[in-house]
Amino acid sequence: MLYYLLLPILSILLIVLQSTVTDLIFSGRFIFEISLIVVVYAGFRLDLIKGTVLAFVLGLTFDCLNGSVTGVLTFLYIIVFWFSFFISEWLDTEKAHVILLFTLLCAFLKEIILNMFYYLAFNVNALPDVYGTIMLQALVIGLFAPLFFSLMDRTGIFIYEKKV
Amino acid sequence: MFFLRKYKTIIFIAVVLISVLVMISYNLKYGSADSFLEKIVLETASPVQKVLSGSIKGVRDAWMRYLFLVGLQEENKNLKKKINELNAVIVSYQESYQEAQRLKKLQYIADNSNYRFITARVIGREQAAISRTVMINKGSADGLKNGMPVVASPGLIGRLVDVSWHVSRVLLFIDENSNVDAIVQRNRTQGIISGAGSRGMILKYVSKTQDVQVGDIVVSSGMGGVFPKGWLIGQVIHIDRQDGGLFLKIYVAPFTDFSKLEEVMILSSDGTQMK
Repeated sequence: MLYYLLLPILSILLIVLQSTVTDLIFSGRFIFEISLIVVVYAGFRLDLIKGTVLAFVLGLTFDCLNGSVTGVLTFLYIIVFWFSFFISEWLDTEKAHVILLFTLLCAFLKEIILNMFYYLAFNVNALPDVYGTIMLQALVIGLFAPLFFSLMDRTGIFIYEKKV
Repeated sequence: MFFLRKYKTIIFIAVVLISVLVMISYNLKYGSADSFLEKIVLETASPVQKVLSGSIKGVRDAWMRYLFLVGLQEENKNLKKKINELNAVIVSYQESYQEAQRLKKLQYIADNSNYRFITARVIGREQAAISRTVMINKGSADGLKNGMPVVASPGLIGRLVDVSWHVSRVLLFIDENSNVDAIVQRNRTQGIISGAGSRGMILKYVSKTQDVQVGDIVVSSGMGGVFPKGWLIGQVIHIDRQDGGLFLKIYVAPFTDFSKLEEVMILSSDGTQMK
C-alpha cells in the first residue's frame, strides 16, 4: 500500500529531477529520460500490476509536467513496460549489454512513435530535424541504463537484503 | 466473480488501456489546458522544482564563480608576467636612450673638432684613496698608445697610462699623480692642474698677483705635447689665498662626473693628423 501512496510523490520528484538535470547538463538539447529507464527496470523486475501502475503514474506525471497531450506519454510508458515485462521472459536481464541494447531500443522506438503521433495528430513532422537527437538521446539513456540497474539492485539488496 | 478473478490481469490491462486511450482522445479533442489533474500535478511539482532549481542554481553559480576566479587568477598571473616583460623592455629602452644621449654628446665633440677619435667603453674603475683610474675596452690592437688624451663630454678627463692589446688604463685628472699644464680661459693665467682625489683638482703655481675668480673656466694649455690646446678641464670653485706662500691654491671642479663614466673617446691623432 505504501508503494502506491509514495509512487505519485516519487514520480513527481523523478520527473522534476530529470528535467533539472537535463537542463543543467545537456542545456535542453535532449531529455535525459531516467523515467524511461525506471519503466524498463520495472518491466524486468516488478510484477504486472505494480509495474503498470508505475508506468501509468510516471507517464501521467511526465505528461502533466511536459505540457504535451495528456495520456500520450502515459500510453507509451505503459506499452514500454508491457513490452519489457513480456520480453523479459526470453532475455537475460542481468547482463549489462542486454539492458543497454534493450533500453536503447525502447528509447528509440518510444521517440519514433511519439513523433509519429504528433505527425498524425497535428501534422508536425519533427522527425527529420530531431533524428540525430533521438539517436543520441537513446544512446545516452541506453548507456546509463546498466548503471541505473546496478544501482537499483544494490539499493534493493541494501534495504531488503535481497534482490528486488 | 469467478470470471473477474480468472481474467483479472486481462481486465486490468484492458481497463488501463481503455482509460489511457480515452484520456488521449478527450485531450486531443478538448485540450488539456484546464485539466484538474494537470493542475494538481503542477501545484505539487512547483515547490519541488523551486527547491531543486534553487539548489542547482546555487551550485552552478558557485561553480561559475569559481571558474571565473580561476580565470581571473590566471589572467592576473599573465598580466603580471606581461607587466614584468614590458618593464624589462622599458628599462632596455631607457638604457638605450641614455646611452644614445651620452654617445650624442661624444659625437658632438667629435664633430666639432679636427681630431680622429676612438670610442671605448668603460669596463672597470679603480677608485682607491690615491689612485683614480678607469679601464677601457680598447688597447694597442685598436691603435691606442700610452699618453693619448681621453675625452668625455664636455672636455678632457685624463690620459692613457697602461695600454695592453685590448684593454687600457686611463689616468683621470683627479688622480693625485696627474699633472697637466692648464690656463684660465678668461685671463690666460697659466698653472698646473693636479689631481686631488675626491676634492677634484687643484690649479697650482698661480701667482697671488693673478686675477683668478671663482667661476673661471680652466682649459688645457697645449704645452707638453700631450693634450691639445683649449679643451675644457674644469671650473674654479674656490680660491685659497694662503698667507705664507707665493701662490694661490685654486680648487677646480671637473666638468665630468667621473663616477658616471660609461663611454669615452681617445684622441688618436694630434693636430697635425686631421681626420
